[in-house]
Amino acid sequence: MASSTRGGRGDVKGFFRQRKKSAGIAKPKGNKSSPNHSATLGSDVVQPAALISHASLDLTDDYHENEEVLRQFDMNMAYGPCLGMTRLARWERARSLGLNPPKDVERLLREPHVRADCLWDGRI
Amino acid sequence: MAAMEIDTESNLQRKQSVYQLMDEGFEIQKEMYRGQQYSQIYFARLHLMRTLLYSLLPNWKPQLPVCTVLGLEKGKECIIVGTLFKHMKLKPRVLDEYSKEKSAAPLVKPHNFVHQDDHLVLEDESGRVKLRGNVLLPSVYVTGIVVALHGKETDAGDFWVEDILESGLPDQIELPLKSGDDKYVVFVSGLNVGSSVSNPLQFQLLVDHITGHLGDEKEQSIAAQIVQVVIAGNSVEIPHGLLNGQNLASKDQSKMSEPIKELDILLTQIAAGVPLDIMPGPNDPANFSLPQQPLHRCLFPGSSTYNTFKSCTNPHFFELDNVRFLGTSGQNIDDLDKYSEAKDKLEFMERTLRWRHIAPTAPNTLGCYPFTDRDPFFIERCPHVYFVGNQDKYETRLMKGSEGQVVRLICIPRFGETGIAVVLNMRNLECHALSFGTQFSS
Repeated sequence: MASSTRGGRGDVKGFFRQRKKSAGIAKPKGNKSSPNHSATLGSDVVQPAALISHASLDLTDDYHENEEVLRQFDMNMAYGPCLGMTRLARWERARSLGLNPPKDVERLLREPHVRADCLWDGRI
Repeated sequence: MAAMEIDTESNLQRKQSVYQLMDEGFEIQKEMYRGQQYSQIYFARLHLMRTLLYSLLPNWKPQLPVCTVLGLEKGKECIIVGTLFKHMKLKPRVLDEYSKEKSAAPLVKPHNFVHQDDHLVLEDESGRVKLRGNVLLPSVYVTGIVVALHGKETDAGDFWVEDILESGLPDQIELPLKSGDDKYVVFVSGLNVGSSVSNPLQFQLLVDHITGHLGDEKEQSIAAQIVQVVIAGNSVEIPHGLLNGQNLASKDQSKMSEPIKELDILLTQIAAGVPLDIMPGPNDPANFSLPQQPLHRCLFPGSSTYNTFKSCTNPHFFELDNVRFLGTSGQNIDDLDKYSEAKDKLEFMERTLRWRHIAPTAPNTLGCYPFTDRDPFFIERCPHVYFVGNQDKYETRLMKGSEGQVVRLICIPRFGETGIAVVLNMRNLECHALSFGTQFSS
């Protein structure tokens, strides 16, 4: 094991670099723009936005109570998994399998400006 | 004996049948993949078949309560309905590659993964429970079947099975058997054009027989009663060395397309005279996962110009003169053969009909498209003829259902190896083999 007293001090230390060229570790710049839901309040800590939005820290979303109804529909296990399908397709499947999904969910889904995908879409 | 004359008035006319294609459920052009997982198809399957089983329960054991897996109480006799999962000791798992210990698992994988320690588990949306009992033999069942079980929860937390209810054969439209003329359907599979084993002369003989170029007038009049030819998969064999993903030299490119060109020439001869259905198989240039999509028209520039030529999906479902035909190129039965045991391939076929599902092991061990809202392998109406291609030998049986259904089960052997095609008479559902040999006695 090379020790600092071996040979001439300048020789070894000059030959075997003991410090990296760049000072410190270069932290990669976070180039991801902050998500549209600013419910994380600009912090770096990853928090599920849905959690905060339910606790009404949602500031800029046009978050209707309609979306709340649709989220409950997404989370309802009786209608099967929600990921990978549009909400309307999942409603149609529930109807054709005879599960009698609530009609007002369908009415909401046919309105404009309603999120077509389930709440986890794009987040998982 | 009178001299042979070319008698234009006695031209033999081929018989015809009314054909109806019913493959829409197997086509995936309209499907869009949105990142869904296989839980969707299992959900659809469970609900579809559970509704069906619930409707059968009053005729089976009406006095017993039905509950979910999580609602089981110790010692209470009840019925539960769910999907079977078979835990198999020898089933290869992807994670075994990463396990630290070099286990004593053999390098050569066995063909059949059944082991006496396998056990079954029943699962529904609420939970799963291990199944015990002498009624349920794990070697008979596979993952993916939906069944109803009568039994009770034991102290150990397992479910002791006393009786099992399968979906059973679906309803069948009765055929007016034994009336009308003899009309024949020829089934062939495993042509393997382009392989070193298959004999092109045998296939040419088959084509000549079907088109009436072989034999005297009596033979030709038999051939004139053939109304449909079905090719059930593995029609070509592309040399494997060319399929390693590297760029091909032009010499290799022509080597790769030669088997298809040769096949097209022979199919043109058939299509010119008889309606022809060709299904893709595991070795054909089609997609891998079930349902396999029809082979593209551009592969058959000669035969696809005929309106008698039809490229079909695998599985294939069609009706000829009200006789329903359902068949696959063999992947579903071969997969059952790997994960369960039966005395012959026909018994696997019977089981798939009784479970009312052509491919229960899909998507577990059989590649399958992740459908979200339906399960196209569920059998809605009982076929009259159920065929499976690319099997080792020709086997057939007439299966009878509990409600008077009658199904002709056919295992079509690989033609490239055996030289045997199968001929079915639609009038009485009787079957016989047509074998071609090219022995030259010296």
